Amino acid sequence: MSRVASALVWDPAVTGYKFRPDHPFNPRRLELAVSLIEALGLVDDDRARVVAPRPATEAELLAVHSREYLEAVKRFSGGADLSGAHRWGLGTDDTPIFAGMHEITSLVSGATIRAAELVMRGEVTRAFSICGGLHHAHRDRASGFCVYSDLAAAIAWIRREHGGKVMYIDYDAHHGDGVQGIFYDDPDVLTLSLHESGRYLFPGTGFVDELGEGDGYGYSLNVPLEAFTEDDSWLDIHRKLIPEVMEAYRPDVVVLQSGCDGHALDPLTHLRASTRLYEETTRIVCEAADRVCGGRVVATGGGGYAVWEVVPRAWTLVWGALSGQEVPNHIPHAWLDRWQGEAPVMLPRFVRDAEEDHKPVPRRAEIEATNRRTLDSLRRQALPLIRGWGLGF
Amino acid sequence: MLVKKRMTHDPVVVSPRHSLADALRLTRERRIRHLPVVDEGVLVGMVSDRDVRTALPSPITEPDAERVAFLERTPVSAIMRADVDSIGPLDTVEDAAKLMRRRRISALPVVDAHGAVLGILSESDVLDAFVEILGPANASSRLEIGMADRAGELARAMRVIGEERGVNICSLMVPPGTAGERRVAIVHVSTIDPRETIAALEAAGFEVGWPSLESDLRQEGAA
Repeated sequence: MSRVASALVWDPAVTGYKFRPDHPFNPRRLELAVSLIEALGLVDDDRARVVAPRPATEAELLAVHSREYLEAVKRFSGGADLSGAHRWGLGTDDTPIFAGMHEITSLVSGATIRAAELVMRGEVTRAFSICGGLHHAHRDRASGFCVYSDLAAAIAWIRREHGGKVMYIDYDAHHGDGVQGIFYDDPDVLTLSLHESGRYLFPGTGFVDELGEGDGYGYSLNVPLEAFTEDDSWLDIHRKLIPEVMEAYRPDVVVLQSGCDGHALDPLTHLRASTRLYEETTRIVCEAADRVCGGRVVATGGGGYAVWEVVPRAWTLVWGALSGQEVPNHIPHAWLDRWQGEAPVMLPRFVRDAEEDHKPVPRRAEIEATNRRTLDSLRRQALPLIRGWGLGF
Repeated sequence: MLVKKRMTHDPVVVSPRHSLADALRLTRERRIRHLPVVDEGVLVGMVSDRDVRTALPSPITEPDAERVAFLERTPVSAIMRADVDSIGPLDTVEDAAKLMRRRRISALPVVDAHGAVLGILSESDVLDAFVEILGPANASSRLEIGMADRAGELARAMRVIGEERGVNICSLMVPPGTAGERRVAIVHVSTIDPRETIAALEAAGFEVGWPSLESDLRQEGAA
């Protein structure tokens, strides 16, 4: 593996994106992940450096959110009376209001825009905005822990500053409904979301027939996976579909949402991935990007609710794959000593899950067959449209 | 759910004097299969692209020129099905679906009291309506709640979700069961994290499935 010029966009200030002490979207996971990356020696001052974020400007947010929504977030953020907050998806159990919400969410959005800047200006080939990935935020509504869409703001920034086409890949266990919705009629942004089927899981969307609308028809792709899907079936789909779509669409840059809540230990979903999925999928994406778009990948974090056991390891592997560095398997004692006292669980000793720790799913054959059917159905419908063999153009 | 909410309004219609060629062209251009036939503002029949193809002479016995001439000279009135079933805009989609099943037809014209065509309700419209009822209205997680078939049980479960947990219920469906047996309510709750809702329901004595109560759909299910 050869090292690639990369940037980890990070500043401890982004951990201010915190709803409540007991809220599942816990920013402690970011500190855990970044400190593990540092402890393993995977950042330096040269080819794999840490770069500070900057806040998104209002104009950058208004490219993807309505003025009314932005003003509402600012009002509540400043302590205004909460009546009417539900209309904007705010003040709910999932997305409660906290003081300074507008400012901190602007910083999180700016982190992902900063990552896009670094990549598009050629300063690095890959950038990882580890605090980003808020894929449920809609144009005028907060949803599922997400206030502003850092992803959509960064994509809109790329489109405005550099033109070209953007391929958005999202393997968070939840459907990337916010990003899909914002670019649903836009053929210059292809969205591909692979997630646990919305039949049972939030947000309840992301089926194969959601293909986009108007000029964007054929540029929204969804692979709803069966509950209890494991590494092999999921990776098989990534290996087949991601290079195929990327080569058909020929984007200028890839934006990757790498939520790690599809891991078997995650409490909010029913998928059964191991850490292998995160390392290998990131490699699949980077290798395809190397062939198609000069290797340019702007990655973000996303979901991940097994805060202590999974997130730091999964995102360390994502960073290793992005920056082209082999990740050592032993977790340093210093890192374990620093965090074990605070951890409610025994921290793992190795970065990668051991195969024997995985309890096989009894319905495996059936789940794999259903996933294959889903993939075939999507390929039949979407690939001719992307390749332009569709409705006479 | 009323037919007028689900039908296609102001559908493409033909007159009985139009040629079959006109009718076939319309079904192709507009990507539809069924055409209500209207004379002097009143429904007089239905014709489908399949009816036209069935009436067409065989390409084995007739040259193409003759088949085209046949389409051009034959009026819709010669092959349309007259005296067809129809339905009113204020009837329910359930009634329309039953009628379609019983009569084995795949599209119903919707008419007013004077027989004027207001719309058409197709099999696809009926399926779309049922898919919408079964699916979630908003971003939500889906729970299955098992409960005794007794007065007050459903209300108690909904109170745990809505009042005790303060979580919005965005859809509720209770498929019919055998009286006296356990019922399963399928509930969409508008949260990404239903864990505390599930715990509260279980503490109140309900059995909760997420993703499902079906043992076949759970991880520990039989191979």
